[in-house]
Amino acid sequence: MLTSLFIYLLAVALAPLFSAVITKTKAFLVGKQGPPLLINYYTLAKLLKKGSVYSESTTFVFQTMPVISLAVSVIAILFLPIARMPALLSFSGDVILVLYLFGIARFFLIIAALDTASPFEGMGAAREAYFSFLCEATLFTVLMLFYKLNGTLSLNDYFTGPNAISIWRPEGAILLLIAIALFVVLLAENSRVPVDDPATHLELTMIHEVMILDHSGPDLAFIEMSAWLKLLFYATLIADLLLPELSTITAIPAFFAVITAIYLTIGIIESITARFRMRLVPKFILTSFALAFFAVILVLEM
Amino acid sequence: MNTIQTLLLAVFVLSSIPIASIALYSQPQIAKKLGTIGILLGCLMGLWSVWQGINETGIQSLTYSWQHILILSVSMDNLSAFFLLTIFLITGAAAVYGFHYLNEREKGLRTLINQALLGILASAMSLVVVAHDMVTFLLAWELMSISSCFLVVYDYEQKATRHAAYIYFIFTQAGALFIFAAFGWLHGLTGSFSLSASAPVPESTKLLIFFLAFAGLASKAGIFPLHIWLPHAHPAAPSHVSAIMSGVMIKMGIYGILRLYLTIAPDSLAIGRTVLILGMVSGILGVIYAMGQNNIKRLLAYSSIENIGIILIGIGIGMIGMSSGNPIMAVCGFTGGLMHVLNHAIFKSLLFMAAGSVAHGTGTLAIERLGGLMKQMRITGLASLIGAVAICGLPPLNGFVSEFFIYNAAFQSRQISNMDFLLTILGAISLAVIGGLAVACFTKATGIVFLGEPRTSEARHAHEAPLSMRYAMQFLATMCIAIGILPTVFAKPALKSAISMVTTMTHQPTTLLQTQAIMDLTTRISWGSVLFLLVCAALWWLRVILYRHKPISRTCTWGCGYTKASPRIQYTGSSFAASILEFFRPFAPIHEECQEPVGVFPTKARYHSSILDIAETLAVQRIAMPVVRAMRSLRWIQHGSLQIYISYIVLAIAALLVVTWLWR
Repeated sequence: MLTSLFIYLLAVALAPLFSAVITKTKAFLVGKQGPPLLINYYTLAKLLKKGSVYSESTTFVFQTMPVISLAVSVIAILFLPIARMPALLSFSGDVILVLYLFGIARFFLIIAALDTASPFEGMGAAREAYFSFLCEATLFTVLMLFYKLNGTLSLNDYFTGPNAISIWRPEGAILLLIAIALFVVLLAENSRVPVDDPATHLELTMIHEVMILDHSGPDLAFIEMSAWLKLLFYATLIADLLLPELSTITAIPAFFAVITAIYLTIGIIESITARFRMRLVPKFILTSFALAFFAVILVLEM
Repeated sequence: MNTIQTLLLAVFVLSSIPIASIALYSQPQIAKKLGTIGILLGCLMGLWSVWQGINETGIQSLTYSWQHILILSVSMDNLSAFFLLTIFLITGAAAVYGFHYLNEREKGLRTLINQALLGILASAMSLVVVAHDMVTFLLAWELMSISSCFLVVYDYEQKATRHAAYIYFIFTQAGALFIFAAFGWLHGLTGSFSLSASAPVPESTKLLIFFLAFAGLASKAGIFPLHIWLPHAHPAAPSHVSAIMSGVMIKMGIYGILRLYLTIAPDSLAIGRTVLILGMVSGILGVIYAMGQNNIKRLLAYSSIENIGIILIGIGIGMIGMSSGNPIMAVCGFTGGLMHVLNHAIFKSLLFMAAGSVAHGTGTLAIERLGGLMKQMRITGLASLIGAVAICGLPPLNGFVSEFFIYNAAFQSRQISNMDFLLTILGAISLAVIGGLAVACFTKATGIVFLGEPRTSEARHAHEAPLSMRYAMQFLATMCIAIGILPTVFAKPALKSAISMVTTMTHQPTTLLQTQAIMDLTTRISWGSVLFLLVCAALWWLRVILYRHKPISRTCTWGCGYTKASPRIQYTGSSFAASILEFFRPFAPIHEECQEPVGVFPTKARYHSSILDIAETLAVQRIAMPVVRAMRSLRWIQHGSLQIYISYIVLAIAALLVVTWLWR
């Protein structure tokens, strides 16, 4: 329990650092030095010191969104077994709760964007609503597959205990498909290239960044933190799938190594590919659904 | 007084007081008050009888016979009690809402008649769910259909309203014919009118009878593709009537399906599979069509089709569980479906009432003409926001409770055959997709209507709804939150009826342990909701601390440096939904009419787009029009002379006698 608490706090504290790994990788690959690894902490500190400017169009919805968003990310990671350590909280069915909590965060993100009356934010909101329902299909297919393999319905039981799911099991080859599907969902849900480019400077082409254009100060800090945690949530899900059975002492460093590798991969993808045209994004996300569904059929035939 | 007598008294009060109050039509305000109090009193008494009914274990019944010809019997079991709960809860709220909603002085008498019909509709629905034999069921069913038909034509001056009522009338009567046929057949086989036990009927006949009645019940429930009347009738009715129709009346179709399922108790998997597949289709297409609507009430009407889909997914999974010998899956599925009946009734009525209050405050229901209403209509806006979060099935509100049960039912399917497992998976995935699309649909409905800047002067000069309308909305919004946080109280009756359904079907009592396992689900939900609210509260507190002594200023929205933005540059509802609709284009074709500006000094240009309902298009093109054309050649039969019509009747009876005589 204590180990779990320790690793939870460690992961939450390190989430901004990992996101900086992506920025650093991208800078390195184009031959720049890039910002320091601690850049995100500096950003947080800077934002927390500031006040806020609110649009006259906005209502209370705009101000509740950052709180709900951060609350959801914080809770979601509570249910996640990090490095295959038992999760802090767990009950049968928690997966559904976690995915639906992400749903409420998204709901408020979208209406907060519409609250500003900005056409750009409206565009971002429409895209967010569009792409996320496709991701949801993949995620629930993956859940059904995990349930079929393991017979339980909680994140903790998926990745801990004797029946844990990992690619080192006999059916590991099938789970590789799932790992790829989850990675695609990670890219889409966290607005990374090739779905969305967080570094773009044109409001018309953005998804996530454009929806938070009007947020500032501590509100923005909450949103940024929540985004880093959400990315960490998906990365941990994949890392748990990839990790072999290890003792506690080796599992933690191995886990962080895998997480770093995932973030490096995101950085490399972002450097070598351009973002897709909006029309291609659904096909990209549906590929992950196809992979997951194929995996389900393979498991049924086993 | 026992339960069933209390209930019948409630039904009597519910219909008689509003009818009696019509007599006072010269004093419409007093009469309206009296009628509202009567309906409320009836609902409270009804709720009291429901409370008794839920706590009783046995089945109570009462029979009335007239001249040994007409034998009417009513009885109340757990399933009836659960549906009665929904009926009385929503009717009470709607009656309160209607008090200020229909407030035009010159329409005094019409309002009173409307109120009386509301009471009759609620009584008829109560009788439908307690009917113990086919005759009572059909009598109550017809009373329900006809009274609701009259409720729809409140604004009969408008052609669209009359048209809607006409379509509704055709569908409801055609549907009833199917039910008559199925019941007649069943009676012919078993020789009894009873709706509880059934004499042995061959399995294949059971299927035929079930699907025959299913067609009729499905058209009442608004299951795709028999939903065509629904998006016409619901927007045409006054908002509190739409709330009852959409929230409660269409559920009578669901009740009928469940009751019939229990009566004929088929073993076949075909029923479960069909129900599940229809659920998925209704759910997904319903929400897509909802997203494409530009009228709030039409959007809500289509969303009812979606939610009926969700209920069917739950029931379908339950039926599959039943047929494949998995009682836990069955109980979970039925509980989820039943819970969604109640939950949908609550949040859909809430949303319809909020829509009515928007129409009241601005005079329009067109989404593209509204915007920024949250500032002037705070209560309505909040109510609508709560309803929207609930209808998307998001925690910590009540929609999540029912979806959680349905998912849990789907996640009991590990042991069943591959084919059914795959189907159940698809059910769960479509539930997830419906949830995602519902978020898109209802962020549009709340975001475009209540947030942003007012798009027209109507929206700019909006005013908040009067007292009784606000009370009704606050009550229902509180219910959404209460069920979300404390689902145990409300899930118990649903669970009880699900368990009694499963035990009557399998003749095996469910063990206490299994019941406990399912009840645990609800504690987990409250647990999750409370955790979420606590973390939110903690972070809000942190936010307050962080903002202490910080400069906060207000300015215009960031427009890339452009500061003179007009409300018209906002994203519209259509553009918000456009890309998703494009994705589903084969199922939801978009009809566009466009007159482009021509010449150097263009004068007139217009553009109109609407989303086509494929079921409606096909029904009109392939069924209705050919039938109309064929019937045209039979026009000569119609003379308009009474004598000839009487001779038609005589001839028909004679022909039928000859046919039956030859048949023997």
